[in-house]
Amino acid sequence: MRRKKVCFVGYGSTEYSRKSEEPLLRHYARAIGAALEQTGLKKTDIGGFSVTTQSSPDYSPHVAEQLGLELDWVLNGDYGGAGGVMSIRRAADAIEAGHIDVAVLVGGNSFDKSVTHQRPLEYQRANYVDVYGYGGPNTLMALVQRRHMEQYGTTLEQIGRIAVAQRESARANPQALLREPMTMDDYLKSRMISDPIRLFDCVMPCSGAECVVLASEERARTITDKLVYLLTDAERVHYQVGDMLPDKTTFGIKVVADRLFKEVRREEIDLFEIYDDYPIAVLIQIEDLGYCKKGDGGKFVESRNLSFKGDFPVNTGGGQLSVGQAGLAGGFLHIVEALRQLRGEAGPRQAKKAERALVTGIGWLSYGRNLGTTAGLVMERRS
Amino acid sequence: MAEKNLPKINPIDRPFWQGAAEGKFMLQHCRTCGKLQFFPRAVCTGCFSAELDWTAARGEGKVHSFTWVFVPRNPAFKGEVPICYANVLLDESVIVESRIVGKGVEEIKLGDRVRVVFQDTSDPQIKLPVFELAGRS
Ligand SMILES: [Zn+2]
Repeated sequence: MRRKKVCFVGYGSTEYSRKSEEPLLRHYARAIGAALEQTGLKKTDIGGFSVTTQSSPDYSPHVAEQLGLELDWVLNGDYGGAGGVMSIRRAADAIEAGHIDVAVLVGGNSFDKSVTHQRPLEYQRANYVDVYGYGGPNTLMALVQRRHMEQYGTTLEQIGRIAVAQRESARANPQALLREPMTMDDYLKSRMISDPIRLFDCVMPCSGAECVVLASEERARTITDKLVYLLTDAERVHYQVGDMLPDKTTFGIKVVADRLFKEVRREEIDLFEIYDDYPIAVLIQIEDLGYCKKGDGGKFVESRNLSFKGDFPVNTGGGQLSVGQAGLAGGFLHIVEALRQLRGEAGPRQAKKAERALVTGIGWLSYGRNLGTTAGLVMERRS
Repeated sequence: MAEKNLPKINPIDRPFWQGAAEGKFMLQHCRTCGKLQFFPRAVCTGCFSAELDWTAARGEGKVHSFTWVFVPRNPAFKGEVPICYANVLLDESVIVESRIVGKGVEEIKLGDRVRVVFQDTSDPQIKLPVFELAGRS
């Protein structure tokens, strides 16, 4: 195919040396800085960002945290010596699709083997978090939950409604590992893990896998008559990352929502498959998606029925909180559940109205703030 | 037996840990745009400049959020649970992750004033900054 609308507008390099001990992150910053200077672009003009390297998981977002970049598209530019060209192809796709206007793609090496740049997240966690005896993501999300409870008066009973409703849906899902009934009392009395996060706020690690198939519309018609369209999608990597006084109770989902709801109206969504590593994360996303005011999430979930039978169905198969979290496959659980619902294949947990579903994903907790990566999409059933 | 974590000090953040050993909580300061930042990074998060120097914070601030950790990731901390792990807003308007220790910590609440203190570690060269409630020692 012939590309039509994507241009190279600048470049930047660093000096080369046989064995520089200078941190790799500084090499990256210098090459990016040179490119920005040449193009006259500002740091905030960067919408997309790729780092080509033999990278560790989430390397690009971790580098972006260190460089203070807030992004609408991100890529780990793996694939060895083909990484440069392959990063450009994927960035060009994103520009042609209209997700971003400007992408900055960088790659480099340094012989400084300290953890600072080889594994940026490991550096941040090892030197500034692990030393205090923290309890992993449970602890970092507990800081977010406490802040939300104190700032807005959100109660444990309100947060617990999400866990309890999802369990009710899970009881009709044979895939769910946790199907025994759960009452509010069970939730409130579950073992304390990192106060105010309790055992029933946490996902249970498990084994399993999920898979999704995408095709062009033309090809799709030859495969199935249950056509589910990807209507719109967006991502935000880092929110307030360069801000030393961040608002811990607002996620990048707020920016994602602004994009999604340009293409579809909030009231047109029937189902909400919202990434649930913790009930508080679901509650905050409901606010950030704009279904209620910031801080009113507690009252909102109190006033709605969140089960698959309800008027605001959230995680209709029980979500990760009741199905279990098969590692990072968890992000696919919500997508597959939305597909089952929209195709009318959800069996005893089939929602009454299932034309449009909103799916979100959120990932890893950054230093002092909240989510590093956030994303969302809307899918629509058309017959 | 598991040991408590020590920082893996590197060229970027060595001045922070040197400062800590001398009883100072050091922040990075950008010579190009003036921004203060923490944790220490290779470049300024405001402007990408690598022209960073260091300035000592007053070492005081307030509790922005906290949690009681009952299940620490490293079992070496088990004997100290629950651990009061917190976000502190330094008076220099910079958020940090840390631990609150000492007198009165059981009654901690958001907004409480705190002051940095430096704990000995298993390495005599390394002191760990943590916070105490101000005015209670
Ligand atoms: Zn700067």
